[in-house]
Amino acid sequence: MTFELPAAVYSPQLLESVVYDIQYYLDWIRQNQIRKKVGAQPKEEPNHSAETVLVIEAWLAGKPATLESIEALLKYLKELELPEVHIMLAALPNHAQREVFVTWFRNNTTPHLMLSFVADRNLGGGIVVRTPNRIFDYTWKQELVAGRDKLAGIVRRV
Amino acid sequence: MEIGLIILAGAVVLLTLIVVAQNLQLQKALRKQHEYEAKPTSVHVSEPTVAQLETSLKAAYEAKIEEATGTFGTDLQTTSERLSEQVSRLTTTVIEEELEAYQQTLEEVRHVATQAMEQIHQAVEHQRVELRQGMEAELVEEKKQLAAKFDAKLGDVVSSYISESLGSGVDLGAQMQFILQSLEKHKDEIRKDLIGDL
Repeated sequence: MTFELPAAVYSPQLLESVVYDIQYYLDWIRQNQIRKKVGAQPKEEPNHSAETVLVIEAWLAGKPATLESIEALLKYLKELELPEVHIMLAALPNHAQREVFVTWFRNNTTPHLMLSFVADRNLGGGIVVRTPNRIFDYTWKQELVAGRDKLAGIVRRV
Repeated sequence: MEIGLIILAGAVVLLTLIVVAQNLQLQKALRKQHEYEAKPTSVHVSEPTVAQLETSLKAAYEAKIEEATGTFGTDLQTTSERLSEQVSRLTTTVIEEELEAYQQTLEEVRHVATQAMEQIHQAVEHQRVELRQGMEAELVEEKKQLAAKFDAKLGDVVSSYISESLGSGVDLGAQMQFILQSLEKHKDEIRKDLIGDL
């Protein structure tokens, strides 16, 4: 079974939130089964976040939710160890922009990764990608610093 | 020959006679002298003559005294003059010698001082040249470093200026195209790094 986290679940914080939701959902399923056995009134199904819904749907792939499948999902998510990529931009991206970045990274590098976003307006523009091993700096600042010889030459000519 | 002998004998006899005669006369004179000495004769001098003699003697004595005194005075003066001259000459010589020695010492001291001054001057000049060269080298180096720092900081200055100018009004949407192009350009590097980490 090849399971890919939805693009909406891109950060460790979101994943933790989803795990918490699913844990709560699993507890509800267990309690509901006991209630059924003893003939008690079942409790109302808890609400899930949009991300949790997307994860459960992707995991079940159209099949009905069972105690075993949800337990397996929870176990999978808890054991999931994905590399985290930190994205630094001049401003925090909105929801749509985040999805663009997540999609790009998962399509062009590996689908199994997490992203986190931070903002630093001193960058001016561009992006800094920090992987567990390296830092890829594609900011304007870096471009200007890399081309300082050109800049110095222009200043001297002026 | 015989005549000659006879003449000679006669001459000898004559001479002997002459000697005898003279000897007799001499003995006679000696006897008279002894007689005069044995019985002195008293001389009677008159009063005026004594007074005259005393006057003459006194005058002669005084004259001799004066003469001796004059001579002594002259000698004393000459000796004094010579002594003064000698002392003067001696003093002058000593002073001249001392002065000469002093001048020589002074000259030696001056020479040593001059040499020391020259050495000090040379050392100072050498130090000045070294200092100047060192300072010039330091200035050149500092200039280079400042230029390098300026070049290095220029990028920071411009980027800071841009980011400060943009302030909080950064439009990320306008940058998305540039950002995605940058990511596309380097996606192999990023992918390689991430896959290697898995």
